[in-house]
Amino acid sequence: MSTLSNTLTSKKSKLPLGERLKREWKRNAIVYIVLIPVIAHFIVFQIYPFLLSFYLTFMDWKVIGDPEFVGLKHWKYLLTDKLAWKAIWNTVVFSVYYILPTMALGLLLAVIINSGVKLAGFFKGIFFLPVVTSFVIIAGIWGWLFGGTEAGMINYMLSFVGIEPQLFLSNSSQALAVLAGLSIFKVAGTTMIYYFAGLQSIDRGLYEAARIDGASSFKIFWNITFPLLKPIHFYVAITTTIGSFQIFDSAYLLTGGGPSYATTTIVYYLYEQGFTSLNLSYAAVLSYVLFSIILIISLIQRKFLGQDSKHY
Amino acid sequence: MFKKISTYIALFVLGFCFLLPFAIMILGSFKDVQFAQIDPLFWIPDPPTMKNYIYIMRDGMFLRWILNSVIITVIPVATQMLFCAVLGYIFAKKQFLGREIIFWIFMAVIMIPQQLLIIPKYIMFSDFGWINTYWALIVPELWGIMGVFLVRQFLQSIPNDLEEAAYIDGANDIQIFFKVILPLAVPVVATVGTFSFISNWNDLFQPLIYLTQEKMFPITLGLASMLGKEGNFGIEMAGSAVSFIPTFLIFLFFQRYFTEGIQMSGMK
Repeated sequence: MSTLSNTLTSKKSKLPLGERLKREWKRNAIVYIVLIPVIAHFIVFQIYPFLLSFYLTFMDWKVIGDPEFVGLKHWKYLLTDKLAWKAIWNTVVFSVYYILPTMALGLLLAVIINSGVKLAGFFKGIFFLPVVTSFVIIAGIWGWLFGGTEAGMINYMLSFVGIEPQLFLSNSSQALAVLAGLSIFKVAGTTMIYYFAGLQSIDRGLYEAARIDGASSFKIFWNITFPLLKPIHFYVAITTTIGSFQIFDSAYLLTGGGPSYATTTIVYYLYEQGFTSLNLSYAAVLSYVLFSIILIISLIQRKFLGQDSKHY
Repeated sequence: MFKKISTYIALFVLGFCFLLPFAIMILGSFKDVQFAQIDPLFWIPDPPTMKNYIYIMRDGMFLRWILNSVIITVIPVATQMLFCAVLGYIFAKKQFLGREIIFWIFMAVIMIPQQLLIIPKYIMFSDFGWINTYWALIVPELWGIMGVFLVRQFLQSIPNDLEEAAYIDGANDIQIFFKVILPLAVPVVATVGTFSFISNWNDLFQPLIYLTQEKMFPITLGLASMLGKEGNFGIEMAGSAVSFIPTFLIFLFFQRYFTEGIQMSGMK
């Protein structure tokens, strides 16, 4: 493809620029007619806001009145803001609760679906259902399941094994884990789809050979299937990590960042600073913190996925 | 044999766990208030009541929230399917100046989280007078980079023969797009549509920022405000169940497009 366009441009470069543009316009007029409004839209709703938010971090943006240039004030404040660091820490803890269980559950579901059971398509649909359901619906049910009194259903079930009612969402050391549980339930269906595709692409002949050699199913899974899924593990790990750093909905809906800031994640803190305290400039700084984290994770993905793509 | 039985047990136990929250939603929506607050097993069959559904239908706000959600979902879904199909075709098949660089910039921008753009967009939309209007939620969503990427990916795998044959027969670009490309791209355009439906119908974050008036709320924000008011569980579940119907229908008919879309987006 690139060689073709190279030869095209080199041939055309002998013509004067005006003539070249004229010919290009004649050939692709319709393409440019479509692209110009699209690019204008792209600049207005993506590029300009991106630049504006960077500019915002150096200003004191007031709801009424002119913005004032304050240099690095907000960036300096970030370094001393204990709550911001707590929010980052909470988000990291959330990721720890969330990433591996989501991957493990997704893999388990995919293995079961792929094992030749009847009704596999039906169950695949059931496991995928939470993915398309809104956070609001699931949070409403989750809040009731994990109600912090004897009336909560999970507490009711725990009472049978002699465990005292737990506070769950009102307990600062349990709340984040309950929110992670909600996300695991909601996202495992997506991980299942990736793993299912991976499992389907594994050559059946490998299993046959191992079985003839007398390997048990368990050994086949750990020694053949699991290592062959390496590129999928990697891709899923990256996407769930990026997702986990953007967690907001469940904290907003169920805990409001509490109790005592235990579920104040990066995005929740950003929301609170920007839209409750109306400190938009500092919220912009926080959004750059989030962006940097996601950018680093994405760059790791690009670097490694390039090397691993031959496995597909 | 043992392996087979244990696989089925795992399948049914997991299936039960995944369905339980939905069962609670449906059964809970037919229950009377007081039960919800005292008995953890209130959702187990008991004389059902339509009270909660009647309440939300008479409430006035609820139907308005559904209507708002329909408006801010249907328009972007339609335009996303059209624009992403056209743009995907252009980037897959057309040779024009700046094609690689424009696409490269699109793909780089996809990494910017929407939480970063929402702060400057809030300021912009305040200036535009778009706060508490549908514009703030519709105009930015008219097309999407991810959709363009999916269509481009799909069309690149299709040989150019058909298109070239149509050119030789004297068809122009517009005719080729509608008569040759679009019929081929139906599955991927359906994927773009379903993705767009789910992201707009379920979106909570953007409406939360741009809308403050209750009558402008989409159903997600409406339900969230019910949740916040410590309202009664039965009514909340009835609201959830009604708002879930469109999602469920789309899911039922287009599940294949969801899962294929997820797999395709993973092939970057």
